[in-house]
Amino acid sequence: MSGGGGSLKVERRKRGKASKRKKLKRVGFVLDMTPLVDITFLLLTFFMFTTTMATPQVMDMRLPPDMKTKKEAPCDSMLSIFVRKDMKIFWQGSCDTTKYDSVKIDSLQKLVVRRNLEPGKENKVLTVLRISDSVSYEYAIKVLDMINLAEYDICGTIERDKDPEGKPLKQRKQKFALLPLKDWKAKILEDQP
Amino acid sequence: MPKVKKKRVGFVIDMTPLVDITFLLLTFFMFTAKFKSQAESEQKFFIKRPMVSADTSKLPDKDLAMIKIAIDSVTKDTNLFFELLNEKDRNAVLEKTGELASQADKHQFSLGRNMGLLSKVINTTCITNNKLTYAIDADKRIKYKWINEVMDTIHRNQVSLAIPSKFKFVTEKKGM
Repeated sequence: MSGGGGSLKVERRKRGKASKRKKLKRVGFVLDMTPLVDITFLLLTFFMFTTTMATPQVMDMRLPPDMKTKKEAPCDSMLSIFVRKDMKIFWQGSCDTTKYDSVKIDSLQKLVVRRNLEPGKENKVLTVLRISDSVSYEYAIKVLDMINLAEYDICGTIERDKDPEGKPLKQRKQKFALLPLKDWKAKILEDQP
Repeated sequence: MPKVKKKRVGFVIDMTPLVDITFLLLTFFMFTAKFKSQAESEQKFFIKRPMVSADTSKLPDKDLAMIKIAIDSVTKDTNLFFELLNEKDRNAVLEKTGELASQADKHQFSLGRNMGLLSKVINTTCITNNKLTYAIDADKRIKYKWINEVMDTIHRNQVSLAIPSKFKFVTEKKGM
């Protein structure tokens, strides 16, 4: 204690001496920023590594209000897409219900766009997707994603013509429907190559 | 005229720009950082979401009812979870559903594989608040059968109460 007081006295004396002298101007004042930078970098790296940039995004789905009542749809403006349990995709778009065409997932987008933009069928095609229970969710979402991508092209083409106010003349109305793959349909699909 | 080279004693770099940029980045990351919700920190599984191409729609952060289908990392069982973001709705649903009484302190209800219970919970939720958005957050490895059943359950309950049948699939952007 006393020692501390003593040193304080000495300092005071020193300071007193200095005050008598001409005061030094603080030119070129340098602060050691190293600890500050250290801590800042530490925090920065912590937040950089813990942060997740991408918040999950969502895919909107809309189901028909009632699946039990039958809605009359002309069979030639239907586009049914089936996903079999071995992940093969078939489609049907005519009134001939025994004919199934196979399609690769990469060309599914093109197929949906082509069918939806056939002359005179704009906004009339009903896309129905039926997926087998044994297919993985990942694959089902992949198929859905392809149809969603097709939807952009379809919307773009249908809403291309604009009135003087800049509003599209025609609007894309319907999205696709997701229906369960019924047993009998699944059986028919088994026989397809 | 060759200059006489000075010895570099007491070499000092001006760190000010460095500190400026570092602080700028630090504040940016500090403000954008989003910490795990309580429900997420108490769950013992991690959902691998399926990847889709970029979309602008984001998961809403309020009025959301989330149905999670996850694979337990230890037992490899598929389990159903139900999470309500709104505390008031959550308590109301908890009160009306007797089976959930034991999970009063949890932030998300564990339903096991009980599809009937899920239906009951969704029904109660629909009655409690009919403006909720439903989202299915499922692991990409599960079979479509689960999705089909959950979808059907949501659909049936929404239709029976004359609520437009719609919901969302929670996905993640490709290439992250």
